[in-house]
Amino acid sequence: MRGFIGTYGTALAGLAVFLFFVVAAPNFANPVNLLNILKQVSFLAILGIGFTFALTTGELDLSFANLASLAAVATGGLIHNGYPPALAIAAGLALGSAGGVLNGVLVTRVKVPSLIATLATASIANGCAFFLTAGVAFVGRWDPGFVALGRAHVLGVPVLVLWMAAVVLIALFVLKNTRVGFHMICTGEAEEPARLAGIRVRSMKVLGLTLSGALAGVTAVLLTANLSSAAPTMAGDYLLTAIAAVLLGMTMFEPGRPNVLGTLVGGVVIGVLSNGLILLGADYYVQDIVLGLIIIGSVALSASTLKKAAFGV
Amino acid sequence: MTPTGEPILSVRRLAKRYGAVQALAGVDLDVQAGEVLAICGDNGAGKSTLIKLISGADVPSEGEIHLRGEPVRFVSPQDALTRGVATIYQDLALAPRLAIYQNVFMGAELTRGLGPLRVLDKRTMIDQASGYMVQLGSAVTDATRPVASLSGGQRQSVAIGRALRWNADVVIMDEPTAALGVRETAQVLDLIRALNGTGKTVVLISHNMADVVAVAHRVAILRQGRKVIERPVSGLDADMLSHMVMTGREAA
Ligand SMILES: Nc1ncnc2c1ncn2[C@@H]1O[C@H](COP(=O)(O)OP(=O)(O)OP(=O)(O)O)[C@@H](O)[C@H]1O
Ligand SMILES: [Mg+2]
Repeated sequence: MRGFIGTYGTALAGLAVFLFFVVAAPNFANPVNLLNILKQVSFLAILGIGFTFALTTGELDLSFANLASLAAVATGGLIHNGYPPALAIAAGLALGSAGGVLNGVLVTRVKVPSLIATLATASIANGCAFFLTAGVAFVGRWDPGFVALGRAHVLGVPVLVLWMAAVVLIALFVLKNTRVGFHMICTGEAEEPARLAGIRVRSMKVLGLTLSGALAGVTAVLLTANLSSAAPTMAGDYLLTAIAAVLLGMTMFEPGRPNVLGTLVGGVVIGVLSNGLILLGADYYVQDIVLGLIIIGSVALSASTLKKAAFGV
Repeated sequence: MTPTGEPILSVRRLAKRYGAVQALAGVDLDVQAGEVLAICGDNGAGKSTLIKLISGADVPSEGEIHLRGEPVRFVSPQDALTRGVATIYQDLALAPRLAIYQNVFMGAELTRGLGPLRVLDKRTMIDQASGYMVQLGSAVTDATRPVASLSGGQRQSVAIGRALRWNADVVIMDEPTAALGVRETAQVLDLIRALNGTGKTVVLISHNMADVVAVAHRVAILRQGRKVIERPVSGLDADMLSHMVMTGREAA
């Protein structure tokens, strides 16, 4: 695909969907609803950008949602039991990152394909999350300073949106303007030439997967603060939606390649779709079907990068 | 560029075994500064093995390598590259979806200060990469174009541009024209002359004797892991060279 339609086609289709809901769905264009969408999108986009980092280095991460749930119950559990928020936050970020490092080591040292390695990590994280909570959720009246991390407004803008903006800008800067970001891109684009050029491709893969885990930790903290509760499956639904956001994003701006802006716009489109469908009175399962179709359609448009990441061909 | 007669790269008693296979069996060879040296030989003669050893892609079983008179042991192609020996692989080792300048500077990017940070200096990299393309006489000078949009010959100039970026003084090319058509082959031969014209020493592996006659100053012929002939190309034509490769003896 080349040219304007090839580069912006799906973004325009997303805009058309948005305008359709503005016209067709009652209350969709209400500012409160739009802000609500943006809040949902921020979780999706932050996780999606983590996945984008992993995929940029040519690896899949199917563990980020369960890592986020695990980090959330760790953070929530500590807050719930009266530990200082700083400690709880550090624990959440550390757990997410550690899961990412584990993925990186499994992929680059033990040589387990990322598709399998991260699936295994996901299962382990899920088990640990249930172990930590004994299967129930942590709910309570939590430290207001902590809760504000996910609920405050700054000049009328939900703080979640600001966190998302910060992650987007930092990710863009790293990938577009730094050596390490470029080395990650080279690793995913052409591993052998990158290695011959002296790029430490294994370190780059570990970094990509670690960033994915770290951003799962970030999402966990924000999600826990926003809901002031933590449950062992709380981020599970974001697995498919965030991956769909990345895949949809790969059809725009830099077609065929994972890219941060695409992930952001993909996340917005998916957030808009699920919100709009609910407002139109569609049953919940319709969202799942639409999500599946988006995934298939996006991959059909940008297959090669994914095949390489999944199967090394 | 006229060869100086001074060896820039020499190998002595260089040998390589792969299990039971003696791929290279005690080769002595001097590459003279400023020359284009062709290495010829039948399939399995040991050409690629020789190149792997002097480019750091593999380590010798026996023998020595001297660079500018000093003994060296390259531990990786990267190691050889930083010491001025660049190898252009037959598959060129390029990232097709990345831009020309990104390929030229891959692994050795230029950066500039931005406050406390160091960021990629894209402007300078693009300008310098275009400069290399001009220097090599390439028709494509927009260094932001993706490599996938280039012809085979143009891709060779990107790969050579990378050697220029490293300021390598020895550039090794393994069958650069093997996959190319007539017109592109002519372009690559021009490229080799242009490269040699900038003072670089070129070691060229080729099965195409017409190419060898067209660009090389000297030729070394390998046969079953041994060097059987090393001589100037002048006075030889492609048929005589082919005959020498087949028989391992000087043409009558
Ligand atoms: N990695 C390896 N393992 C085992 N044997 C090898 C290996 N590399 C080369 N050989 C053997 O060493 C000998 C020399 O091979 P080499 O690739 O150097 O020949 P060549 O002159 O480059 O041939 P061609 O013209 O076909 O490229 C051959 O018999 C080859 O089968
Ligand atoms: Mg060979």
